[in-house]
Amino acid sequence: MSDLFALTGSNNYFEDFAVGQRMRHARSATIDEVENNYISKQVMNTAQTHWNEEILAGSPLGDGRLVFGLITGSMTVGLASQDTAENALGELGLDAVRFSKPVHHGDTITAYTEVLDTADAPDRDDAGIVRFKHWGCNQHGEVVCELERLVLIKRRSHWGAAIPETETETREVQ
Amino acid sequence: MGEPDFDSFPVVVHGHQFEDFPEGREFAHHWGRTITAGDNALFSTATCNWNPMHLNSEFAKAHSHPDVVVNPMLVLCTVVGLSVEDLSEIGGPFLGMENVRFHRPVHPGDTLTASSKVVEARESKTRPHTGIVTWHTEGHNQHGELVVDYQRTNLVAKKRPPKGD
Repeated sequence: MSDLFALTGSNNYFEDFAVGQRMRHARSATIDEVENNYISKQVMNTAQTHWNEEILAGSPLGDGRLVFGLITGSMTVGLASQDTAENALGELGLDAVRFSKPVHHGDTITAYTEVLDTADAPDRDDAGIVRFKHWGCNQHGEVVCELERLVLIKRRSHWGAAIPETETETREVQ
Repeated sequence: MGEPDFDSFPVVVHGHQFEDFPEGREFAHHWGRTITAGDNALFSTATCNWNPMHLNSEFAKAHSHPDVVVNPMLVLCTVVGLSVEDLSEIGGPFLGMENVRFHRPVHPGDTLTASSKVVEARESKTRPHTGIVTWHTEGHNQHGELVVDYQRTNLVAKKRPPKGD
């Protein structure tokens, strides 16, 4: 089983997150046919503004298909997921989810994160809870969505034992 | 005029508007959705969420799950999706959500259903043709267990323009 724990990174345990820490996530993603047109229908979103190219023509929201806000939110969380939840035990929730500008097919999302809070988990000592603030921005640098996210993350003190000691030392030198 | 005259065909309207949302009204949303392993794999990869808890079943089993954990964002998107016709299909823009809580994991093969209750409905001060409605929505699995709940707020179009307009 120990090899399974080598599948995830070792620099993103609960102890590695500090309040105020900021991250720009290195990979951005363009939203297009699969991400919005298909997933909107996959998740049963019947609002045709998300998958009918003609319905919004000439509207103040802009021509073309409007990206379902929670797909922009899911992409923002996804782009942030390796750096924030690779060693997570579970997603606990979201707060203050806001969609501030329309997103259309062809727009590219970049995710930014700040650590708002870290806390003990009330019912277990092998993990802690981190509250992240995430922003999703478009290719013009405009914020299109923001949200807070609570994640239950493994403590290195408990789970990090699965990592060979030499590997840990190497990383600490870096 | 061509035959048949398609412009004369009445639209089959789906959805509700501001006047349909008195505070306290409850909706049991349509259809339900069984989440398959394929749904989770497609959603998680397409949204760049390559976490092994969602995509490596051996890894998930080593964490006491019977299979991969369905990406909670897919659970949330699906519960919102099931509620769209009743709540927001002909309404207006999605403004935000509060207090989204994931209460228990969902695994492939689980079936989600959604229901909502109107928490608040008020006039928009700046947009006379619209109101602002907040709903509390719950998603349950096939055992009747709560898997997610949240509050969602949208701008919602009114049926009738205000007097003098």
